[in-house]
Amino acid sequence: MVRYLARRLGQSLLTIFLTVSTVFVLVRLAPGDPATSYAGPNATTEDLARIREQFGLDDSVFAQYLIFLRDLFTGDLGTSYSFHAPAFDVVMDRLPYTTTLAISAIALTTVVAVPLGVWMARRADTNREIGANIVTIAGQSMPDFWSGVMLLTAFAVLIPVLPSSGFTTWGGLVLPTITVAILQMALISRLVRREMAGALASPYITVARSRGVSERALTWRYGLRNSAIPVLTALGTRFAALLNGVVVVEVVFGWPGVGSLVVRALETRDYPLIQATVLVTAALAILVQLLIDLAYPLLDPRVRLGKAA
Amino acid sequence: MATTDTPRASRDEPLLDVRDLQIELITEHGVVRAVDGVSFAIDSGETVTIIGESGSGKSTTAMGILRLLPDGLAVISGTARISGVDTVANPGAMPKILGRKVSLIPQDPMTALSPVHTVGRQLGEAIRLRHPELSKAEARARGIELLERVRISKPESRWASYPHQLSGGMLQRVLIAIALAAEPVLLVADEPTSALDVTVQAGILDLLLELQERTGIGILMITHDLGVARLVSDRIHVMRDGHFVESGPVEQVVDAPTEPYTQKLLAAVPVLGPWDESTVTEEAGR
Repeated sequence: MVRYLARRLGQSLLTIFLTVSTVFVLVRLAPGDPATSYAGPNATTEDLARIREQFGLDDSVFAQYLIFLRDLFTGDLGTSYSFHAPAFDVVMDRLPYTTTLAISAIALTTVVAVPLGVWMARRADTNREIGANIVTIAGQSMPDFWSGVMLLTAFAVLIPVLPSSGFTTWGGLVLPTITVAILQMALISRLVRREMAGALASPYITVARSRGVSERALTWRYGLRNSAIPVLTALGTRFAALLNGVVVVEVVFGWPGVGSLVVRALETRDYPLIQATVLVTAALAILVQLLIDLAYPLLDPRVRLGKAA
Repeated sequence: MATTDTPRASRDEPLLDVRDLQIELITEHGVVRAVDGVSFAIDSGETVTIIGESGSGKSTTAMGILRLLPDGLAVISGTARISGVDTVANPGAMPKILGRKVSLIPQDPMTALSPVHTVGRQLGEAIRLRHPELSKAEARARGIELLERVRISKPESRWASYPHQLSGGMLQRVLIAIALAAEPVLLVADEPTSALDVTVQAGILDLLLELQERTGIGILMITHDLGVARLVSDRIHVMRDGHFVESGPVEQVVDAPTEPYTQKLLAAVPVLGPWDESTVTEEAGR
């Protein structure tokens, strides 16, 4: 177990390192110049040169990379060009908003999609299930900028019960959460339905039914418990993806999360900020994945960590 | 030639009394009459075997009687009385029958238990379904007794085992213990030894016969194996295409079959005889 953890942590660090390095090179290969966007349209050539020197952009990419690595190992991710503050701190200021939205969206997804998927599996191919199926397909096909704007129109404008933007009260969390969760609920409920239908068709369900186990226990104790690994994996993967920020939803609702931060960093070619965002969100995603993997042996006794299946 | 078991003149009602049972299965290729008017009965202490090839309808008969076929996909008619309760007319009575009066011993022990729950959890659950008044500790004590009774060594440590940690033979013993937890009057054994090694098969059949001797339980045995049928049965029904083609006491059906199909079935059983050099190359060439 300790060896497994050590190996996984080593792999994770390597993954993060490679991700950050790739992004470091890619942002510099992409067209655009931080100095131009920093100095504004009226800057002179001298201004630009001064700014480039100040940001250390005169050096070769390789030299910049070495400096970046040196600073990285001392915990310094550089200073954001546009915020004039340590890039890491800027990201960490935004992160709570993103995690709050991610947690609340995944919680809503779990609470709605798991029972819905179970219900659909129990009533597979009945008219009502087909109806529910159509609803989930619609949910999956709905673009979030559209559903977000519709929700805003309905609950912030026509019936003004909820704030339209920002996160100053808990009410501000409601519409972004629903907007983000619509797609997740559609995906997860369909997955739960598929996994549950498979589990409920297993011989052990029939045998358990033959010994008088109630349908409720068959569904939840046997069916869902045996579907737990793929369902948890999907929820975890969706959660990790949400931690990278939900750009469109954050923009629609003026949500001060990592997603809108990334957009701004990219627009202004704020290299340190882009790198810091990637590093933090990659680390979070990997951490979530590690936690899910650690949960596997608890969910299925046949899984042994560190051993090939 | 479908019915041979006319109602018996016993004072007590048979444990299982099946009359003119028909089961239609709804498949992708249309409606198939898998069971077409079979009748038979089982008294306590008796073992009745339905033998047939795969697809003959023997397992469908058993699962239909227990109402374990998927609701939307099977249409059942006729009567099937378990201790007097007609399961065809009253599917709602099944909760009082399954796990109380009847138990099922499944075909493949390797897939018959939930892989993510311990043996003890599933056995304990069966015990507490039958005796809700028992505490978990009492159920465990009784469960370990049952595991001993089906001759599982070190039952205390097996209690906490997961199914994948036990062999097929041991799992089948666990499933028999679970079946016994219901204290049933009737045991339905659906090919209980087909998935097991030959050496393990005999042990499981011995165990079933011994339990029957001790408890007077009735057994409905479903098998394609004539050896199994000959060993355990009081009476045999030979099934083909949803019908019983021949029925009778074991000696009569096995030793003096009247139907050509039964004769063919018997002729298909390999016999240990003198070594015949000429067939060896032929066999090896397959």
